[in-house]
Amino acid sequence: MPKLKTKDKHIKKLAEIVKGPNSILYLKEDLLAYDCDGFTIHKHLPKAVVFPKDTEEVAAIVKYCDANNLPFLARGAGTGLSGGAIPLNGEVIISLVRMKRLISVDTENRRAVVEPGFVNLKLTNSISDRGYYYAPDPSSQYCCTIGGNVAENAGGAHCLKYGVTTNHILGLEVVLPNGEIIEISSDGIPDAPGYDLLGILTGSEGTLGIVTKITVRILKNPEEKQTVLAYFDKVSDGSHAVSDIISAGIVPAALEMMDKIAIEAVEAAAFPVGHPKDIEALLLIEVDGVSAGIDEQINQILEVCKRRNVREVKVAQDEQERGRWWANRKTGFGAMGAISPDYLVQDGVIPRSKLPEVLGRINQISEEFGLRIANIFHAGDGNLHPLVLFDAKKPGDTDKALKAGSACLKVCADVGGSITGEHGVGIEKKEEMRFIFSDEEIMAQTNVREVFNPNNLLNAGKLFPTPGRCIEMKSDVNEPLSS
Amino acid sequence: MLVEEAFLQLQEQFPDVEMKYGKTDNYLGNSGLVRVYPSSEQQISAILKYANENGKTVSVEGNGTKRGFGGLTETADILVSLSRYKGIVEHTVGDMTVTVKSGTVFRELQGFLAKYNQQVSLDPSWPEDATIGGVIASNDSGPKRLGYGSARDAVIGLRVVYPDGSIIRTGGKVVKNVAGYDTNKLFIGSMGTIGIITEITLKLRPSPKAESLSLLSFPDANLKEIHSFVVDLLDSMIEPISLELLNPKLSKNLTGTEQYTLVVGFEDVKSSVDYQINKLKDLKPQNSELNILQDEELRAFWDRLSCMIPNGKRVSSSNQTEACVKIGVKNLDVVQVIRESDLLQDSFNLKVSAHGGLGHGICQVNLLGAQEDVALAISRLREVVESYHGYLIAKHLSLALRHKIDVWGDKPTYFFLFEGIKKKIDPNRVLNEKRFVGGI
Repeated sequence: MPKLKTKDKHIKKLAEIVKGPNSILYLKEDLLAYDCDGFTIHKHLPKAVVFPKDTEEVAAIVKYCDANNLPFLARGAGTGLSGGAIPLNGEVIISLVRMKRLISVDTENRRAVVEPGFVNLKLTNSISDRGYYYAPDPSSQYCCTIGGNVAENAGGAHCLKYGVTTNHILGLEVVLPNGEIIEISSDGIPDAPGYDLLGILTGSEGTLGIVTKITVRILKNPEEKQTVLAYFDKVSDGSHAVSDIISAGIVPAALEMMDKIAIEAVEAAAFPVGHPKDIEALLLIEVDGVSAGIDEQINQILEVCKRRNVREVKVAQDEQERGRWWANRKTGFGAMGAISPDYLVQDGVIPRSKLPEVLGRINQISEEFGLRIANIFHAGDGNLHPLVLFDAKKPGDTDKALKAGSACLKVCADVGGSITGEHGVGIEKKEEMRFIFSDEEIMAQTNVREVFNPNNLLNAGKLFPTPGRCIEMKSDVNEPLSS
Repeated sequence: MLVEEAFLQLQEQFPDVEMKYGKTDNYLGNSGLVRVYPSSEQQISAILKYANENGKTVSVEGNGTKRGFGGLTETADILVSLSRYKGIVEHTVGDMTVTVKSGTVFRELQGFLAKYNQQVSLDPSWPEDATIGGVIASNDSGPKRLGYGSARDAVIGLRVVYPDGSIIRTGGKVVKNVAGYDTNKLFIGSMGTIGIITEITLKLRPSPKAESLSLLSFPDANLKEIHSFVVDLLDSMIEPISLELLNPKLSKNLTGTEQYTLVVGFEDVKSSVDYQINKLKDLKPQNSELNILQDEELRAFWDRLSCMIPNGKRVSSSNQTEACVKIGVKNLDVVQVIRESDLLQDSFNLKVSAHGGLGHGICQVNLLGAQEDVALAISRLREVVESYHGYLIAKHLSLALRHKIDVWGDKPTYFFLFEGIKKKIDPNRVLNEKRFVGGI
């Protein structure tokens, strides 16, 4: 073992657990890269970062942390947008990037088993030659890990038809916060007797356990897909077209919308496709399935768009064109960098029918705070991503952006929606949890956490509001008083 | 305490709530000394709070179709029936979501939605009797889960009355939502052991524009051939919404043909359905026989299949023992499970109707015969299923047999988590005592 440049006994012990070179980071210059994830507004240094190579090492690290009262958390690729992997309490970060094997693929039973550090898109790439794919496709799929997807219950553009991560998880191996390893439905058989632990673990943002092996459902590639791009002069026409498509009984694989500022950004960034600059909204619509039904649905969609005064509407002529349209859309968040020094992504959900109303209110928020807000969203399922543009170097701008973002979420909550559709609560939206849940309801959830994570050493301070008023009081009572 | 006394006490507490007492036909158990029929959430909350504070046990039911599913007690102190707590709370056509009270009969809900060309994409047993609350609490599903998923894929929000009377919302009313833990999932399939679900918000789908059912029967009973045909079919481009294998006995009851039969359903626009039937014709083995059902015939087939399991609400006319089990295995192991179930007929002198989904791995097996034989057959079947790493749950058994056969099978290694959840939410063990895994 290489000699350690530290006297910290915990780091020495952890270094004994994770064998092999470069398995632990503990020097400040190395830790800086781990002080935040995709949510960059809050930063905090971890105590150390360890890189276990298998489940047993994860369990040993967790046991050690639990026994020594060291806070810890798990991290995948660090692409999370709500701060779920930020070491608020100086955690030991358990990075799962070395556990990145594709363990098995069983096309007959339509499942694959992966380690948590396996990158989302790699799964589809590994099975596409056999005609299969993994459906959840967050925009960061080229680098985010499936373990992280499980933690966040990640969505993506195609979850309108195919569902989000939780609909594709069939089994999990989990290291509980006391270091115990459990396997739930490892063969991927649905409806295992008992409470649905797969369901509660998926989307628990790394606060209930650390997932070390995942059995996922894989799907057969659809026989055909067709993609439509429609340009509208009025946002209201675009949003009505969304409702009309759904009302026509069509279930598109994806139904995406971008507004004028978003279009300005994607056209100024790395993957422009030549959208007209003066339109107010565009829709990107994809239909897939057996080839026989596709044309009929596409024709219906084209008709709907025309009825809603579309300026121009076109069907992708080949896979290249389709790929360009999607690259343009999927890099939409990052594209904001081309028109603004900084941006904050929000993630509200609304009932689809409230789309025109909510967009109007977001516009008002933009004016009120004097910040531009771009909108990129999964219109089909009402999942909005308002992108608040700001300049962190301007005094007060960051704070204004955070407040504007929160105001957008309040609007979503007020129309009967949710404060997050796929990015998670993390640190970012914990106070906004109060927009949609009562104290009693939040306590019902922290009670569940106590079952799994009674010492609250795993990823503490996330997901639920602080100081928690009555909520944390209850657990405080159980803790020994320090002298 | 005398039943009458308990009744009077409850009546005094809840003068507005309809209630009854007296003996019921009770060979299935899960009854109540006093049966109450609340018509509001406040009443449900008040009754639970009363029970929780006064050490009473509560059994919960919708319309009682699942009285034979789990539980070791003949009668709790109070039976809360949700059969009067029904109706649509909110339906926003454009959002494709519906919120419904839990005592609403499943068929009535579907009938309401059909007027808007929408549906809840679940096909549970006894849709004319079963309530949506019961379907969700027992996680019931049918053959179409291959295409549409199960309750956990359809439920987006719940209102739940906790044993202490508090009313807790889980999830929300939008189709995509990751705010907080996905606690909807805890209640789906929890058999009413941690709360009474009062309202359910569901994601809807458009009604299919066309549907058809292809019955493919295999006269040679060559299971290898069925297996390899199904592998080819699943690997092809067609997208069936059901791919259910029937044993010959069940096939005879439903179709008149006493052969292993595959039920391949398609639901889509008409051109797509026709195209897929043609593909199926190309793929099918030469010696298999194809019969296509549409319209009335198709609906009648699904209706008969959904009423196959014994109905706890209706008194059995048979003097033999009826039982039904749910089995979960890997998708393609279903072929072997249906075969092994069929073999029980001769080994144990039973009538066995079995079907299982080759694309999802869930099977349902009905057994009819002498009590001893039924018990032995279930044990035998459980051994077989466990050799495939699957599980067997008894969905319908008499109370007497539930004392002999463990309804849920062995506890998993992580049972302590189930216990922890139960203790946190229902520390006084008020709700549905011993109705669930490991005596929860």
